[in-house]
Amino acid sequence: MHTPTGFGPRLQSLSLVLPGLVVFTVGLVIPMVIGLYYSFTSWDGFTPELPWVGLDNYLKMLGDENVRNAWGFTLAFTVLNTIVQNGLALLFAVILDSGIRAKKLFRTILFLPCLIAPLVAGYIWARMYMDLNFMLFGNGDTVLMGLLIVNNWQWVGYWMLIYLAGLQSIPPELYEAAQVDGAPRWTQFRRIGAPRWTQFRRIPLPMLAPSITIGVVGITVGSLRVYDLIVSATGGGPGRSSMSIIYQIYNTAFSGKQYGYGSAISVTLIALLMLIAVVQLRVLRRREVQQ
Amino acid sequence: MKITRWVGTALTLAMLSTGLGAWGQTVKVLAGQSTTDAGIEDLISKAVTAKYPGIKLDWEVVGWGTDFQPKMQQYIQSGLPDIMVGKAQDVATYASKNVLADLTGKPYLKNALDAAVGSGTYKGKVYGVVFNALYQGVYYNRKIFKDNGLTIPKTQADLAAIIQKLNDKKITPFETHFLDTWSIGNITNQFAINDVFNKAADWGDQFRAGKVSFATSKPFQTCYQYNKLIYDNTWKSETFSLEQTKADARLVQGKAAMKVSGSWSIQNFFDVDPNFDFGIFPFPNQTGDAKLIYEPNITFLKSATTKNSDAVDKVFEVITGDKALAAAIYDQTKTAPMIKGVTPTYRNPSQADIDAFAAKNQIVDANIGNNQLTWGGFQEENAKDIASWLQGKLTFEATLKASDARRANSKP
Repeated sequence: MHTPTGFGPRLQSLSLVLPGLVVFTVGLVIPMVIGLYYSFTSWDGFTPELPWVGLDNYLKMLGDENVRNAWGFTLAFTVLNTIVQNGLALLFAVILDSGIRAKKLFRTILFLPCLIAPLVAGYIWARMYMDLNFMLFGNGDTVLMGLLIVNNWQWVGYWMLIYLAGLQSIPPELYEAAQVDGAPRWTQFRRIGAPRWTQFRRIPLPMLAPSITIGVVGITVGSLRVYDLIVSATGGGPGRSSMSIIYQIYNTAFSGKQYGYGSAISVTLIALLMLIAVVQLRVLRRREVQQ
Repeated sequence: MKITRWVGTALTLAMLSTGLGAWGQTVKVLAGQSTTDAGIEDLISKAVTAKYPGIKLDWEVVGWGTDFQPKMQQYIQSGLPDIMVGKAQDVATYASKNVLADLTGKPYLKNALDAAVGSGTYKGKVYGVVFNALYQGVYYNRKIFKDNGLTIPKTQADLAAIIQKLNDKKITPFETHFLDTWSIGNITNQFAINDVFNKAADWGDQFRAGKVSFATSKPFQTCYQYNKLIYDNTWKSETFSLEQTKADARLVQGKAAMKVSGSWSIQNFFDVDPNFDFGIFPFPNQTGDAKLIYEPNITFLKSATTKNSDAVDKVFEVITGDKALAAAIYDQTKTAPMIKGVTPTYRNPSQADIDAFAAKNQIVDANIGNNQLTWGGFQEENAKDIASWLQGKLTFEATLKASDARRANSKP
């Protein structure tokens, strides 16, 4: 294989990479570095001075009950949401990939909620719960469940499409080969209905691994960043029962006039997001099957 | 030929843009509004354009409680708009940061009531034009009070007797909507104004100096406990799911007798029943001398660095001098005037009570509390803890301790 050498080809390569690199640096790297710097200050967001406080903000965070609560809620929401949403999305995808009638209609119905802005969805569901006297948002013990219902209602259809695309990209030869090898007829679940778990585990599930990677990582990261739904549905309440970490950061940095401290909490969130994404990608990619 | 055409077009465009620039002047406005203020920007724009056709107001409207301060933080870094519309308590917050223009001696200040000028003053200089005022206290359903032989309570014992009687009659004593955590913050501040700040006007300064604390202050603990009194005498299972309009409707419909609130509820009352008859009294304090709370509200602030200083002054002149505009805004927001010679025409059944308390000098400015303990980051955070305590997620001691722990964030 010929590898381009010399200044000309390198310049050409650089010119192709440069626009993306500039956007990445200006849009992501620089704000992150600035945020990191703020996290070592006690800046209130107003003054021209940025008093350096070293690691004080990080030490303060360790003893901050409100930050701990926000992390507790966010992690609980993330774990439950990732499990439930992936499970439901996969289930609906399998059902819609089978021979049921009116599958386009069901697909549309399931997908429609994700076209609504989360702020609006939160508001609608808060009103609906109230009108139905179903007070899930009004109690600290049930607010998480109420939010999970709304979030899954809104996003299951989106992730279902990812899984559905994955299912539909599985080569039909695999099913034909299974048939020739004498596998039971119902392993051909695409035509006759949902498969039993043992058969599902052997053909479609390994082939779906790339979709599962996208689904798990996407839903985990999205759940860790939940904000707009909570703003309109519960305002983080009752009390602090549904205060997500992003909401806590916003309150701390802006309403609380502690920009430096809010930046420190952001840094921990970014670190966790990166860690989780890397671990999940490594673990899940190992299970992927090359088609 | 082509070049000539291009040059000609460019020159024409340049002339046009220069001409337009000279004719029109855009004044940027950041308005932090409460829900009851929605729409006043259109009224103001229309009035300004009618008098000064060359001035165009470019509005950015945000929620005062949620987004005004973050926006101000952002704009202080990047350049403030020409005009900011906030609350009277913002005068102290932003004048202390040297970002507001000094309005002292401006002719249009003569159009405002003395109290308005006083509320817009910080360290001897006027930084804000206060436009209207709210009243805060306990709104009550007059029919329920009349039918049950109830009179306005002066002491906690009087209030307890009313609550008892209403409970006996299966009428919910208090209307609440604790879904809105700000409402907990608001009523706690009302309690504190009469039980704490009216007795020790520098309580916040003492708190920051470490001389007093929530954990040791009996009066402030009593204020927190009033929340429990109200919570125990409202629709407990619903209040954290109920939003304001629905809750307010219940007071009008006679399903509850009282509501600790402010003038912002009047719009809701009239939306349900324009003939609703209601009054107002101060929430009784421990010493039986509670005052009705008056709060200077919508306040116009001018940027210290505006390049449109003359235009901003013209806008302020219209806002304070156009009586028809002022009356229209008061009627829409159902608030009290702070501009001389303007009388709102909306029906306010609680006015008789307000006049009676005013005649006895039983009115107090909300800013005695707001200027001691800031709302954003302190009062509103305390309200979240109080909500957690009411729901049994936090002990009372932990709630007080949490308030003490944010001492450093309490200064307005």
